[in-house]
Amino acid sequence: MTDDKPSKSEFMKEKSRFLRGTIAEGLTHVESGAISEDDFQLLKFHGSYMQDDRDVRGERSKKKLDKAYMFMIRLRIPGGFVKPAQWRQLDDIAMKYGNHSLRITTRATFQLHGVIKSNLKRTMQGISAACLDTIAACGDVTRGVMSVANPYLSKVHQEAYELAQRTSNHMLPKTGAYHEIWLDGEQIVGKELATAESEPIYGPRYLPRKFKFVFAVPPDNDVDVFAHDCGFIAIVENGKLVGWNVTVGGGMGMTHGVVETFPRLGDVLGFCPHDKVIEVAEKILTVQRDWGNRSNRARARLKYTIEDRGLDNFRTEVEKRLGFPLGAPRPYKFERTGDFIGWRQGQDKKKWHLTLYIESGRIKDTPQHKLRSAIREIADLDICDFVMTANQNLVFANVSARSKVKIEQILAAHNVSLATSSGLRRNSIACVALPTCALALAESERYFPTLLTKIEDILDKAGLREDEIVIRMTGCPNGCGRPYLAEIGFVGRSPGLYNLYLGAAFDGTRMNKLYAQDVDEARALALLDPILCRYAKERNEGERFGDFTIRAGYVKPTLVSNQFHADVTLA
Amino acid sequence: MTVTPLLPRNAPFLPEDIDMLNKVVARTTPQQRSWLAGFFAGFEAALGGGALPAAAPVAKPRAPLTILYASESGNSEALANKAKKVAQKNGLDAKVFDMADADLTLLAKAKNLVVYAATWGEGDPPSRAADFYQALMSDKAPRLDGVRFAVLALGDTAYVNFCGVGKAIDARLEELGASRAADRVDLDLDYAKQAAEWTEGALAKLAPPETAPAGGTVVHVDFGGAAGQLDDDEPQFTDERPLEAEISALVNLNGTGSTRETWHAEFAFDTPAFSYQPGDAIGLVPENDPLLVDELLKTVGLGSDAALLLKLQKSYDVTTLSRSLVENYAKVTGRGDVKALLEGEAYPKFAADRQLIDLFEAYPEKLTADQLTGLLRPLPGRLYSVASSLKAHPGEAHLLVGAVRWESHGKVRKGVSSTYLGERRKVGTTARLYVKPNRHFRLPPDGHTPIIMIGAGTGVAPYRAFVEERVATGSKGKSWLFFGERNFTNDFLYQLEWQDYLGSGDLSRIDVAFSRDQPEKIYVQHRLWERRAELQNWLQDGAHLYVCGDEKGMAKDVDATLVKILAEQAKGDEEAGRAKLKELTKAGRYQRDVY
Ligand code: SRM
Ligand SMILES: Cc1cc2nc3c(=O)[nH]c(=O)nc-3n(C[C@H](O)[C@H](O)[C@H](O)COP(=O)(O)OP(=O)(O)OC[C@H]3O[C@@H](n4cnc5c(N)ncnc54)[C@H](O)[C@@H]3O)c2cc1C
Ligand SMILES: Cc1cc2nc3c(=O)[nH]c(=O)nc-3n(C[C@H](O)[C@H](O)[C@H](O)COP(=O)(O)O)c2cc1C
Ligand code: SF4
Repeated sequence: MTDDKPSKSEFMKEKSRFLRGTIAEGLTHVESGAISEDDFQLLKFHGSYMQDDRDVRGERSKKKLDKAYMFMIRLRIPGGFVKPAQWRQLDDIAMKYGNHSLRITTRATFQLHGVIKSNLKRTMQGISAACLDTIAACGDVTRGVMSVANPYLSKVHQEAYELAQRTSNHMLPKTGAYHEIWLDGEQIVGKELATAESEPIYGPRYLPRKFKFVFAVPPDNDVDVFAHDCGFIAIVENGKLVGWNVTVGGGMGMTHGVVETFPRLGDVLGFCPHDKVIEVAEKILTVQRDWGNRSNRARARLKYTIEDRGLDNFRTEVEKRLGFPLGAPRPYKFERTGDFIGWRQGQDKKKWHLTLYIESGRIKDTPQHKLRSAIREIADLDICDFVMTANQNLVFANVSARSKVKIEQILAAHNVSLATSSGLRRNSIACVALPTCALALAESERYFPTLLTKIEDILDKAGLREDEIVIRMTGCPNGCGRPYLAEIGFVGRSPGLYNLYLGAAFDGTRMNKLYAQDVDEARALALLDPILCRYAKERNEGERFGDFTIRAGYVKPTLVSNQFHADVTLA
Repeated sequence: MTVTPLLPRNAPFLPEDIDMLNKVVARTTPQQRSWLAGFFAGFEAALGGGALPAAAPVAKPRAPLTILYASESGNSEALANKAKKVAQKNGLDAKVFDMADADLTLLAKAKNLVVYAATWGEGDPPSRAADFYQALMSDKAPRLDGVRFAVLALGDTAYVNFCGVGKAIDARLEELGASRAADRVDLDLDYAKQAAEWTEGALAKLAPPETAPAGGTVVHVDFGGAAGQLDDDEPQFTDERPLEAEISALVNLNGTGSTRETWHAEFAFDTPAFSYQPGDAIGLVPENDPLLVDELLKTVGLGSDAALLLKLQKSYDVTTLSRSLVENYAKVTGRGDVKALLEGEAYPKFAADRQLIDLFEAYPEKLTADQLTGLLRPLPGRLYSVASSLKAHPGEAHLLVGAVRWESHGKVRKGVSSTYLGERRKVGTTARLYVKPNRHFRLPPDGHTPIIMIGAGTGVAPYRAFVEERVATGSKGKSWLFFGERNFTNDFLYQLEWQDYLGSGDLSRIDVAFSRDQPEKIYVQHRLWERRAELQNWLQDGAHLYVCGDEKGMAKDVDATLVKILAEQAKGDEEAGRAKLKELTKAGRYQRDVY
C-alpha cells in the first residue's frame, strides 16, 4: 500500500508559498461562503477548518442556497492558560462572530464554531488583539502543546507549563503568511519570498502529518500522556524536578475495518535532563519529518513510523542527531487520567483552585443554566485566572479565600452547580461530532449527556453513583475524545450506532478492546447493566471497572497496541 | 377577409341606429359610398355657406385637447391613452403628455385639459412626475385663465392620504385661474368602469359636440379588424378577468433559522396570450384567510353563512380599513361614536395599524349580508415583479414573494396575498394571475449596454428575469448585481443561480450587503459607496442603473447615495449630483421599481 508517490497534499503544501496559497483572494469571493479545496487544506495550518452545518444539508439546494459553510477556529494556547481579560475578549468574539459558545477541547484550548467567511478576518484580528493566535493549531505541524492542568498547583506544574509554552513557540512555523493574510502584515511576494521565508525546522513540505507534544506530572495523567506523538513525564526525585521520561509513538486515530490503522500508546524512549527537553523534542520531530510516510496519510503519524522502523532504530537516529544518548527511563507512577473536580489547594496552601466540570467542554447559556454568562461575570471581576484541561473542564485558578465565596455565589446565581451528578460523568469526555464535524458518523457531544443519564440509573441500581469510572464517546474512530483509553468507550459507526469498547486502565496505561459492534442505545444499556451490577458485587478491594471487565472475561486486555484489533470476541 | 364598411359600436349613433345604418352600408358599392360621402360633405358645406361641394370630405379645424398624466405603475397612463382614442372618436384633436417629460408652459398653452393623476408613497406624486408637480405647486406656476380642465385621481382607500395628488392638482388648477369643466373623481383600485364613464362625460363637457363637427372629420376606424368589436389594446387579463395558472413550484428560499420568509413560486400555463417581459409585474388575485373571514362574520352576527364566507374569501377586501368604509359603517349602524371617528385627527389615529376586524370589534353591530358586502370593496390584486424570463421558461412565470407578518393591537396579522401563497396554496393548486406591464423598468434595447442592478430582499426578483433574458438572447453586455438582505447563510436569495451566472460570465460582478452578520449594519448603499470608483467607470461606459425593492427601507437611501456618488464624479455639490441623476432618469438610464 505504500507506493512511494507523495500524496497530493504534499504537492499542495510545497506549492503553497509557505502556507499562503490563494486564501487571501478566496476571502474576496463574496458570493460563496467557501474557499477552494487547496486553501481549505492550507487554512488548517492557520488554525481554522471550513465546515458546513450538517443539520441543514438536505434543504439547502432545494432553497437554491449553497451549503451552510462556516469556519471552526482553534486557538493556540499552550498549557491552556488564559487571563481574565483574554477570557472577556474571547467571549465577546464568540458572541459577535461565533455561535455564541466557546468550546474547550480535549487538548485544553478553545474552539470557536460557526464563523462565516466574511467575519473570518475580523475574528482572527480580535484573537490577535487578545494577545493570542491560531497559528498551527491544525495542520501538519506541531499542534497545541498540552501540560498538566494548572501551573499554580506546584513548582513542577509551573515548570511543565513553561516548557509547554517554550516548545510550542519553538516549533512555530516561521512563515509570515499568517500576519500577511489575517493581520494585514506587509506582503512578501515573488523572489524575496523564497529568500525571506524558510522553515528551518519543517522545510517547505512541513510534516507528513499532525504532531502532538504533551507534558505530564505524575500522579496525574490528565493529559493521557501515552496518546500523543511525543510526551514528557516529569521525574521528581526527593522533591526536585530532575528531568523527564520521553515517550514516542502515541496516537488514537484509526479507520473502521482497516486493521493496519490502529490506536497506539506511546513507548518510553528514555530519560532526558530538564535543560535538554526542547532539543530532544526538536530532534524527535525532525526524524519523523524525514522518516514519516508522505505517500499515505493514513499511515503518516509517528506511531506508524515507530511500528515500521522499530523503537531502537528510532532512538539511535534521535541520539545521533542529538549528539548525546538519552538516559535510561526513570520510575514513575500515574494514578488517574481525569480531573479532580471541585475546590483544592496547591502546595503553597494559600490560594484556591476550582475545577468545574463542563459538559462536553461546551460553554454556552441554556434556558436552564447560564454557564457562559456566569463565567463571563467572574472574568469581569479579575479574581482568578482560567486553565482549560485535557478533559474539557475549566479551572478557576489562583483564587483568594474571599473570592472563593464570590465565585460560588455567581455560579449559583446562574444555576451552575459545583457538584456533578456522578463519578461516571465526572470522568466523561465527548467529542464535538455533529453538526459541525465533517467526519462524524454519529452524534457525540449533543447525545452523550442523555446516554450518561440513562447509565446513571443503572449505577443507582448497582450503588455505583459515586464510583469513578472513565467513559468517553466519539462520533467516529478518529478518537478525538481518546475513547480507546476509556474503561467504557463508545465510537460512532453510523447514526445511532456505536462500537462499545471495554477494559482500559483507569490511569491511561492500557487501551480498551472492542466488546460489541453497532449497538444502539437500548442494546448498550442492556449490555452494560449486568456488567456494572456484577462489578458492584464482585469487585476486589479497590479494583477498577476496566480491570474488572478483563478479570471477569468480558474482554481480553490490549497488551500491545498493534494487537488492538486482535483477540476480539463480540458480545 | 372581405372588408365591409361597418360602423363601429362606438360610432356617435344610438345602438339601434348603428344597426339600421349597417344593414344598408353593408350592401353599398364603392361608388355608392363615395356618392354618400360627397353628398354629406356638400350638405355641410352648403350649411356652412357657399363652399363648393367636394368629392372628398373636408376637415374643419378640430377642438384641441391636452391629456396629461402622472403615473408610476401605468394605470393613469393607460387611462390617458384610452381618453385619446375616445377624444378622436369625438372628433377632438387630442395629444397625450406624461408629466415626466412635460413642461409647465404646456398648461398655459392648453385650451382643454384633462388630467389623470395617481398618488404614491404617502400622498406623494409618482416619482417621474415629481418635478412637474412641484413646479405646478410653486409660485413659478403660470396663470391659467381661460384653460378649461377636469381631473381624475387614482388612489387606494387603504392609504390615509387617499388620492392626495389628484385632489391637490384639481385645487391648484382652479387657484391658477383655470375653470373646472367637470368635477373630479377619486377612484379606488377598482377604477376601470367608473374611469371609462367619467372620461366619456368629461370629454363631452370639455369639447361639446357643436364645437366638434363630427361630419367634417374623416373618422378613423380600423376597417381591417372585425368591425364593431371592443377596443383592441384592452389587456386580456386583469384582476377582474385573471388567468387561472397552476402552481408548479413553491419553496421558501430562506434557510432554517432565518428571520425571513420569502417564497419562490412558479406558475405554469398554456395560454400564449398570457405574455410578459422582464421588468413587468404580475398581478396575483389572492384569497382571504378563511379563519379571518369567519372571525369577521361572527363579529357581525353572520357566523353560520358558509356561502357568504366563500364569497368574501374570494372576492372582497376584508382587511383594509378606509375612511369611506368607516363613513358607510357609521351610516349603516347609525352609531355616533363611529361617526366621531371621522372628525379631526380621530380617524388616522384609530386607523393606524388597525384593520376592518378591529373596527367591528371596537364598535360591534349585527349586519345583514348585503349591508356587509355593501361596505366592502372588491379584493384587489397584488403586484409582484416577475422573476423569470419567458424565453428561459416558456409557459411559466416565477414570482418572489416576501411573507408579510406583523403584530398590532394584540393581534397577529398576516399579509393577505403573501401568506395566501405560503400558507394556503400547494403545488398543483391554482392561483389567479394577470400581467401588469411596466415599460419604465426595461433592459436596455442594446444587449451590449452594461447594467447595474441594485436590490434588497425581494427587490432582486426582476434581476433574475433580466439575467435569464440576457442569457436567452445571447446579450453580451456586462452586468453587476448589488444584493442586500439580513444574513448571508440563510437569506442569500437565489445564491446558487448567481454563483452559476458568475461562473459562466453571464453575471460580471456581485456585491452583497448582509445587515445582521456583524455588529455594524451594512446595507447596499454602503457597498455602492465603497465601489463608487468602479461604479463611475461603468456609468461612463453608458451603464443603466436599476433599483428595485422596498421604497422606505432601501430605495430612498440608495437614491441619496447615488446622488453623492454622481456629485463626487461631477466634482460638484449635492445639487449637481441630483441634476446628474435626473439626466440619467430622463435618458432612461436610471429606472426604479419600488414599492
Ligand atoms: C475539538 C476536538 C475534539 C473535542 O471534542 O475536543 C477535535 C476535533 C476534530 N478533530 Fe480531532 N479533535 C480534538 C482532539 C483530537 C485528539 C485527542 C488529543 O489530541 O489529545 C485526537 C487523538 C489523538 C491523535 O491525534 O491521534 C484527534 C484525532 C483526530 C484525527 C485522527 C488523526 C489520526 O492521525 O488518526 C482526525 C482526522 C484527521 O486528522 O485526519 C481529527 C480531526 C478533527 C476534526 C478537525 C475533523 C476534521 O478533520 O474535519 C474535528 C473538528 C470537529 C469540530 O467541529 O470541532 N482528529 N483529535 C479536539 C481538539 C484538540 C485541539 O485543541 O487541538
Ligand atoms: C410594482 C410593485 C411590485 C412589487 N413586487 C413585489 C415583489 O416582487 N415581491 C414582493 O414580495 N412584493 C412585491 N410588491 C408588494 C406586493 O404587491 C404586496 O404589497 C405585498 O406582497 C403585501 O401584500 P399582502 O396582501 O401580503 O399584504 P396586505 O394584506 O396587503 O398587507 C400589507 C399592508 O399591511 C400593512 N402592514 C404591513 N406590515 C406592517 C407592519 N409591520 N405594521 C403595520 N402595518 C403593516 C401595510 O399597510 C401594508 O400595505 C410589489 C408591489 C408593487 C406595487
Ligand atoms: C407603494 C404604494 C404607495 C401608494 N400610496 C398611495 C397613497 O398614499 N394614496 C393613495 O390614494 N394611493 C396610493 N397608492 C395607490 C396607487 O395610487 C394606485 O395603485 C394607482 O392605481 C396607481 O396608478 P399608476 O399606475 O398610474 O401609478 C399607492 C400604491 C403603492 C404601490
Ligand atoms: S472523533 Fe470523529 S466525529 Fe469526533 S470530532 Fe473527531 S473527527 Fe469528528
